Amino acid sequence: MPPLFLILRGWLMDRQQIEEIIGKYKHPEGKILSILEDIQEVDRYLSKETLKVVSETLNIPLSKLFSIATFYSFFNLKPVGEHIITVCMGTACHVRGAAGLLNTLENLLKVSENGTTEDGKFFLTTEDKHFSLNTARCFGCCSMAPVVKVDEKIYGYVTVNDLPRILKEYGWKEDENR
Amino acid sequence: MNAKEVQVYINGKTYGASEGEPLIGVARRNGIFIPSLCYEESLEPYGACRMCIVEIKNEGVKKRIVTSCTLHVFDGLSVETDSEEVLKHRKVLLELYLAQAPNSSKLKELALKYGVNRTRFRQKVRDNDPLNNSCVLCGLCVRVCSEVMGARVISFIGRGEKTRVNTPYFEQSELCLGCRACAEVCPTGAIEFRDDGGIRVAASWSNTKVELKKCNVCGKYYAPVKLDKRIDTLYYYRDKDGELRDMCPDCRRKAMTRKMTLIAENEVEKYAK
Repeated sequence: MPPLFLILRGWLMDRQQIEEIIGKYKHPEGKILSILEDIQEVDRYLSKETLKVVSETLNIPLSKLFSIATFYSFFNLKPVGEHIITVCMGTACHVRGAAGLLNTLENLLKVSENGTTEDGKFFLTTEDKHFSLNTARCFGCCSMAPVVKVDEKIYGYVTVNDLPRILKEYGWKEDENR
Repeated sequence: MNAKEVQVYINGKTYGASEGEPLIGVARRNGIFIPSLCYEESLEPYGACRMCIVEIKNEGVKKRIVTSCTLHVFDGLSVETDSEEVLKHRKVLLELYLAQAPNSSKLKELALKYGVNRTRFRQKVRDNDPLNNSCVLCGLCVRVCSEVMGARVISFIGRGEKTRVNTPYFEQSELCLGCRACAEVCPTGAIEFRDDGGIRVAASWSNTKVELKKCNVCGKYYAPVKLDKRIDTLYYYRDKDGELRDMCPDCRRKAMTRKMTLIAENEVEKYAK
């Protein structure tokens, strides 16, 4: 795992490292998901070049890999920010106002709502690559609804007024011009 | 193929079939119309579109509705293709398909056959859809591209309501052969190709461009360059001197006839001597 600043500068695995990951598996053709997961763990997203290398090494068509990567919401096809904010849109959270949280977050982070990327996923990243915003269905803690997850930490009973405070913990600065 | 000959009853009439083949094939061979969207003889039965449903009416068996493409025939099988129950389901299916692909004229035609001219469901219309809002996601183009042609250019992208078919990253593909097999099998006529002079453009697949080959004799563009090798090998053994290379089918036929005539005349002369 390379240092974080390298990743933030857009550092990606090269062919040799990808082949190393593939080499760990006995029958790599059947382990595409695990391979892509391993790559994403390091790169934080799957770049076009990475997918092409995997496709060439395993002799699996790029179309199939792209199909897999777009099917699972786990995979990111665009560079992600340093901190990933996930808003739960499950039934309980929805009833307690998750949509409002999402709207407020979009405004605070100044990410555009046209948002769903062309691969059909909802994933917004701020311009300075500091935050990424996406949604999930349920974290399994509906009793704390509405729930927002930042990186691996879960915040419950979140209100719209709490959001700036939570964001500040992760180095968000309020814009004076607002 | 040593499959056992069996008798099946379709709409009360008896037909011969070999055991294990899909019922839809037996029906179509005998001129019985069963509508389908995802059935293609060159591919494995898929059972996705549900349009080819029939009702099994064997005695002693509970009546049930199955897709005829995945129904392997056995001796004494008795089905009805247009029973009341089947028609009821088929009409709802057609309405659903009309909502999924509101622009397809082929689909509208099929729906009219069953008296369905409108849909109660919300129509799915996308702006700038490369498939002209006509795709029902039957998957035939994807399967024909990978399983029959081996090019594997297109695939499903996304999931659920947002699923569509296209090239990876919506970019022009270098792998596309330009064979038009996908457009050929498409049941709704969603896939568009156009030939601009010497270049075939797959308008539906992110404007992928494929070069076409020019006929040496008449100058007509007749086939993609990438497929040329496959065409040539067909004639290779008969055509050692390469006279029939790089010709469009029309010119090739003419040239072959000329060649045959010459050979025949020579033979005649030989015997005349």
